[in-house]
Amino acid sequence: MSAAAMNSQTRRERRRRERLVERDAAIPVELYGLKRGTVTALTTCCVLFALFTLAPVVWVIINSTKTQSNIFGSFGFWFASPFEFFHTFANLFRDIDGDGTYANWFLNTVLYSLSGGIGATVLAVLGGYGFARFEFRGSKAFFAIIIAGLLVPITLVAVPLYLAYAKVHLINSVWGMILPSMVVPVGLYLMRTYVELSIPRELIDAARIDGASELRIFLRIALPLMVPGLMTVLLLSVAGTWNNYILPLIIFSNNQLFPVTVGMGLWSQHAGNSGDANLYPLLVLGGLVTIVPMIALFALLQRYWRGGLLLGSVAN
Amino acid sequence: MSETALRPSAPAVTPPSTPGKRRRRSAYARRQGRAGLAFVTPFMIIFTLIMIAPLGYAVYQSLYTTKLIGGTSFSGFANYSTVLQSGDFWDGVIRVIIFGGIQIPVMLAIAFFFATIFDLGVARWGPLFRAVYFIPFAVPIVVSSVMWGFLLDPAYGPFNHLMNAIGFHNFNWLSGNLMIPSIIIIAIWEWTGYNCIILYTALKSVPRDVIEAAILDDTPLWRIIVRIKLPMVRPAIIMLVFINTIGAMQLFIEPTILNNYQAGVVTNTWTPVIDIYSTAISNGQYQLGAAMAVVLAVIIVAISVASLGFRGRRREQ
Repeated sequence: MSAAAMNSQTRRERRRRERLVERDAAIPVELYGLKRGTVTALTTCCVLFALFTLAPVVWVIINSTKTQSNIFGSFGFWFASPFEFFHTFANLFRDIDGDGTYANWFLNTVLYSLSGGIGATVLAVLGGYGFARFEFRGSKAFFAIIIAGLLVPITLVAVPLYLAYAKVHLINSVWGMILPSMVVPVGLYLMRTYVELSIPRELIDAARIDGASELRIFLRIALPLMVPGLMTVLLLSVAGTWNNYILPLIIFSNNQLFPVTVGMGLWSQHAGNSGDANLYPLLVLGGLVTIVPMIALFALLQRYWRGGLLLGSVAN
Repeated sequence: MSETALRPSAPAVTPPSTPGKRRRRSAYARRQGRAGLAFVTPFMIIFTLIMIAPLGYAVYQSLYTTKLIGGTSFSGFANYSTVLQSGDFWDGVIRVIIFGGIQIPVMLAIAFFFATIFDLGVARWGPLFRAVYFIPFAVPIVVSSVMWGFLLDPAYGPFNHLMNAIGFHNFNWLSGNLMIPSIIIIAIWEWTGYNCIILYTALKSVPRDVIEAAILDDTPLWRIIVRIKLPMVRPAIIMLVFINTIGAMQLFIEPTILNNYQAGVVTNTWTPVIDIYSTAISNGQYQLGAAMAVVLAVIIVAISVASLGFRGRRREQ
């Protein structure tokens, strides 16, 4: 048996065991003394809300295959010929009305999200560990300032940043987008809480007694234990930059640098009076292409982030 | 200090009796402090550059005025008094407060309802629904606003056909009266799943034996939920109120995008952030826009602190 196959088998085994544990932890429904039909009624509620949740997504999938006139003229929740999906898809690689090219925007979004997200995670992991496991002059005050930063999200900083960028020539610079994406105070807060809960002081102290350097303790002992929390922060900060709209809207005037969100915002503004440029199908398919990678990422990594999201509300 | 107490055999730490040993211990603490500082410095540098410095610069700018003739000069609080006396700005503030005041409680109620169902396991296919509800969180707000714009479009939107079919003719989801309710629906669509997952995780951590004891006492289910589960997840609810309030006060993307489907409803001052954007960026009145941003930040901080104070008072009872 190959190593990969064995690995996937043990992973499946582990997942099965986790599911069993979860089922054991749940209290059997019969014990609640519910009336007959309650489960059916509540399941119906769940189905209704699921329909509400899925309606726009289903609409986008169906209408990404339509022509502009069919998007408006045919029934929204069923297909209509001709099947235009591939034609529209090809147009995502062309600058169709002078606003810019979707494929270019998409690559920009990937670049900003990955570099911003990875940077944010590195800073949050280092800082969270530092605040959780060390005491130094001013540590309390620094941390209080960062917590205050939670209240001042990037939207409000965007205008002041624009003023500052104008001074230091960061307007229309990739760094003007990436650097602010690396500041995620909530990420640092999550990491600090995670370290408090999952890395015992005794473990670190034991390593110190053995004469390990602080850097070595961090890399060899703390970091491996921080991985689940780290994945949550990575996912949240990548998603945060992926979704960011107002900062790139303000700092970029060159459409070659736009992320998807700003490009699509521009299209939605121009689609109404662009005449025969046929922007609506692009808007629909562009939306679909934007959300698929994020949904896939969240689905793939859900083991990690599900517990992590709650961290902000526990501990002091 | 408690760290050293744990380590009787640490080379740098020996029983604190003679002055010489004291000095050695503080040297140890200093070395620790330097290591801690090294870990937090990268974050602090970028944080200072990106958040503190621009905010400081904005406050500084907000005290100046640029005139066509005479250039830029110090004008004290003139910009602030312009903002504070601007009826449009306050209309926008009140609009987002109304928006958040309705959207947040409704959404949290829905999220708690489903989180409880998933936690108790009283509906079929719980894990599937949990995953489905979370999908909108992965959709950028620009994209969800575009999608909902199509769905609610006054002329062609399927939801408009629906209203026509059930007897409401000339219904317009994006008219002046219905714009806020429509954005509330969109925001509920966007955020319920995220809030639900957080509440679900919090409910999962309620100890099982507490619930079992209540069941053995023949406590009705609704009472277990309201009297035991709800109080135990209060910290999570408070955090969610906090996050959602900060988000609601900065409403910007949804109205901006929906304006492209129904022109004329969303004005340049419809929400505070739209107002700031159009003042500072579109009209180029940076200093006035900076003053508005500072005022909005103060309002957000005030509301947040007030809600924290509320938490503190509740805890004392």
